[in-house]
Amino acid sequence: MLRWLPLALITLVALWLRTHELTRRPMHADEANQAVKLGSLLETGHYAFDPRDHHGPTLYYAALPIAWVRGEKNLASLSETSVRLVPAFAGTLSVLLLAAAAMPLGRWPALASAAFLAISPPAVYFSRYFIQETLLATCILAVVVSVQRWLRTGATRWAIAAGFCAGLAQATKASAPLFLVIAALAWSLARLVKSPSSAVVLPTAAPLPAPGPTPRCQLYPGRALLLAGSVGLGTAALLYSSFLTHPTGLVDALGAYSQALTRFGATAAPTGHEKAWGYYLRIFGWFRSGGLVWHQLVFTVLALAGILITLLRRDRWCFGVAVYTVTIFAVFSGFAYKTPWHLIHFVPGLAVLAALALARLAQQPRGGLFATGAALLVGGTLWQQTWLTSFLRPADQRNPYAYVHSSADVLKYRALAEAAVARSPLAPIRVISEEYWPLPWYLRTLPQVGFWSQSPPDANGSLVITSPAQLAAVRASLHGPYRESILGLRPGVFCIVLTPDP
Amino acid sequence: MLPRTLTLALSVLALTASAGAADAIALKVEMPKPLFAGTPRPISLANLEPAGAKRADIMVPAGTTVLSKGKTVTSSDALPVIGELSFLTDGDKTGIDGAYVELGPGVQWVQVDLGASAKIAAVAVWHFHSQARVYHDVVIQISNDKDFKSGITTLFNNDDDNSSKFGKGKDLAYVETNNGRVIDAKGTAGRYVRLSSNGNTSDELNHYCEVEVFGTAGK
Repeated sequence: MLRWLPLALITLVALWLRTHELTRRPMHADEANQAVKLGSLLETGHYAFDPRDHHGPTLYYAALPIAWVRGEKNLASLSETSVRLVPAFAGTLSVLLLAAAAMPLGRWPALASAAFLAISPPAVYFSRYFIQETLLATCILAVVVSVQRWLRTGATRWAIAAGFCAGLAQATKASAPLFLVIAALAWSLARLVKSPSSAVVLPTAAPLPAPGPTPRCQLYPGRALLLAGSVGLGTAALLYSSFLTHPTGLVDALGAYSQALTRFGATAAPTGHEKAWGYYLRIFGWFRSGGLVWHQLVFTVLALAGILITLLRRDRWCFGVAVYTVTIFAVFSGFAYKTPWHLIHFVPGLAVLAALALARLAQQPRGGLFATGAALLVGGTLWQQTWLTSFLRPADQRNPYAYVHSSADVLKYRALAEAAVARSPLAPIRVISEEYWPLPWYLRTLPQVGFWSQSPPDANGSLVITSPAQLAAVRASLHGPYRESILGLRPGVFCIVLTPDP
Repeated sequence: MLPRTLTLALSVLALTASAGAADAIALKVEMPKPLFAGTPRPISLANLEPAGAKRADIMVPAGTTVLSKGKTVTSSDALPVIGELSFLTDGDKTGIDGAYVELGPGVQWVQVDLGASAKIAAVAVWHFHSQARVYHDVVIQISNDKDFKSGITTLFNNDDDNSSKFGKGKDLAYVETNNGRVIDAKGTAGRYVRLSSNGNTSDELNHYCEVEVFGTAGK
């Protein structure tokens, strides 16, 4: 029982960091948009995959049971906590999965890997963020663990589990194959490495199963692959077709790739998310912005030491992890389109490599002391940065993870709208702007709210919220005097709030 | 450092050159370089000062100088996480990282102690000018009472709904630029100048690059 205590503690810390005060940060426009879509699914039971502006359906379906358990039956009652619990639980599960995946390193290094992921600043931040990325990263880790188990035991159930998790990953985000292909490539390359010992890299490593009959996976790999592929496709098909109620979702699922090419291809217009190749590296390093310091450098240095050790020792399993991590890093750095949530895909690999470095350090004379010191230093710096990014300044524009984030002003619109309803219960509340997210989320409980991208002929209402670009047209459509004030939507973007002047 | 010194020197020169004149003169305030180019969209709003609008000159008595340089600053947020309160009166209004102080969320004030009561001609404030943003509920007051319980003169107040509880104000909100905001104090006598704000359109925090109090010493 005591054997599981450290992992249980790490999991509890991971869970607490991912679920504590989930409403502390205002809703990002992307979160709000997806939460409103979930609200529609909750109310109507209907979901249709949209390949143009949204990712896969897993996130929404995963949120349903949480909302039901919390007694939320419609968009109005749906809460930020409920929607954010989906990535929070997925992120916590990913910690357990990484511990399982890293067992070839040995028990304590596997626990260290899990601990680093548990308190990683980007992993925690995006585990509290209602988007697909954490769910995707967790599904990919689940595939890795399942394939590991299948390779070791040859049991069909693990092939089925791998296929199921791959299907979930595919139904979470269309970029899933990229991770699976790179993982397969890394595994293939690792097999070519002539290692002094094939898998056991450390004296503390978990013992290999005793030599016995050749696993069935090695006898019939094609059959298992076919089975896993069928389960994966079936799972993805079920979700994309909204459990067979929306068959065109299957066609749209394939169409997502042509949409992606149109949007991100070489000839596509800039999306506004283009960044220099070193963007991700910088965040894993050390930089100062607006008087605040953001860093993960100690962790990154330890992970780099792990890569160096891997190259010197030529351990197969670690070599595979290093190839996967470096390739993922390189591929995402190579894409012009960069967003901070992609960072979480680098963390599991880096955590394993950092743990490997610690384990090697511990093997040196008096190394235990140094390894403990290094672990505490890494843990301390990661914890400090996690506290800063997820709790102290979660929506601060200097926070590298708070990407075009809603400003605190978005929390003020609702009170204004409620006051408007109290004054004129039957009059509409109009939001007339090219950009208005996350306002539909914050105004969701009010029945008479409407949204326009351009001013209607009659723009009068108990409250009118508009953009600077629409203001002239809105004014021309108003009767009577209105008081005008300003509220922010996100850094550098304002709305003008017009209230009838009695 | 050199541009800052130059700016200060020009400022002092401009003021001292005209010190001998008997009539009121137009206040010259040296502005820092702009850190961003205009707002994303031009905003024309009834209670928002038009962007780039030429402001009327503020006429001040000859001999008016910067009284606040190096003076003590106190605040409702006594220990700012970023920057020092002394940044408000250090003459550096560049607005770059390391040149502004960041106060906590919600309603926060800063207070400049001029050391003795003075005839205050104008107050200039630069909150943060690296990005287009509007600071909420900007209130500027003068008093001889350091606790601002009595003898308060309000120079500026754009809190149109009295959310900061200083009373409802009718002044215009404005987008922060390198031009800051210069307010005519009309020779109000006082030792303390208090400036308050209530977050801004980008975040709930309050920032100051510089505050300059212009006037003449003595009552």
